[in-house]
Amino acid sequence: MGPLAPNEIISEDTNFLLAFFIGIAFGWVLESSGFSSSRKLAGVFYGYDAVVLKVFFTAAITAMLGLLFMSLFGWIDLNLVYINPTYLTSAIVGGVVMGAGFIMGGFCPGTSFCGAAIGKIDAMVFIGGLFIGIYGFAFTYGWWEKLYLAKYLGEPKVSEVLGLSDGVFGLLLILVALAMFAVAEWAEKKFPREAY
Amino acid sequence: MKPRNLLALILIPMGLIIAAVPQNKTNPYKLTADQMLTEANSRTQFVAPEVVADMILRKDPSLRLIDVRGQDEFEKFSLPGAINIPSSDLLSDEYTDILNQDIKMNVFFSNGTLAANQAWMITRQLGYENNYVLEGGLNYWFEAILNPQKPVSTSSDEEFARYDFRKSLGQALGGGGDAVQPASGQDAFTVKPVIKPAAKKKRAAGGC
Repeated sequence: MGPLAPNEIISEDTNFLLAFFIGIAFGWVLESSGFSSSRKLAGVFYGYDAVVLKVFFTAAITAMLGLLFMSLFGWIDLNLVYINPTYLTSAIVGGVVMGAGFIMGGFCPGTSFCGAAIGKIDAMVFIGGLFIGIYGFAFTYGWWEKLYLAKYLGEPKVSEVLGLSDGVFGLLLILVALAMFAVAEWAEKKFPREAY
Repeated sequence: MKPRNLLALILIPMGLIIAAVPQNKTNPYKLTADQMLTEANSRTQFVAPEVVADMILRKDPSLRLIDVRGQDEFEKFSLPGAINIPSSDLLSDEYTDILNQDIKMNVFFSNGTLAANQAWMITRQLGYENNYVLEGGLNYWFEAILNPQKPVSTSSDEEFARYDFRKSLGQALGGGGDAVQPASGQDAFTVKPVIKPAAKKKRAAGGC
């Protein structure tokens, strides 16, 4: 059955329409969880607020469980699900740059648009920076190309690299996530911040 | 109950279940039995031997002949430029790129049409496009292209035209034609160089 678009059950256009509605729902949830405040995201790094961590990790393990169960029932063919190809060097460099941007700016790309939508000026400035970065990278692509394409690993899955089945790796990830939530909540008590 | 505990109470058992059950590795068919039956009955998967012979002679780059017989039979005789994918290896990973693509026209053939049709049905059900079957297989190829029978003198002009076309194709492809054929030497050497290099190239491509 699934995935719907690659199996031509829905057209590419319908796919975009669905993405549009899901995007709106995603933005709404982000806003109502308070992610449009830059202090919320920065709080993850300083330890006083772990809501972002908890929300995103819960979303990730929920989606993971959903996909694994749907695959088990034959509702989705996981071989047809797009996996981002891994370029190890650019993943690490990009992760560091992006992480630094998170701490300094207090937004991730998604939450910055959320913040801009409710009129936050810092979010709009962040989006400005985002576009400077995008265009800057695009126009100087020649300089980075080698670094960008270095250490191409194809589309590996962590479970394959570790030699585990997808299910066992899923269980481990759930346990790790729950442990992380406990640590994060302990940190919230340890490094409290009054009103923010 | 704290939300985190509730979450753990739901997620951990689900994780345990998913860790314990075997992975679903079935490769679901893309077409329903009904769709498959309609396609098989429409016979659109068949390509006439004249069309294939003509494409071989024109060195049409979009044509890819796939011999689904065993390797020993393939080595004894095959069509010019054909690659060998025995039916038993059809689902092996190394051939997926050849069978599942949208550039070339793959034409399966075997001695009759049974094995070629099986190959076509399997690839079709996996959702692959551009796979066809040589009508009548190699047996009919011999009959129609390499050794066409002269129609009786009362036949229509159309039948004579088809016979002439087949005969010229057959001669060009090294067939017997009829008794006059050995005399027409020009066919023998205009055509031979055409086919040989193509055969080598394609075979190499099929190996990887």
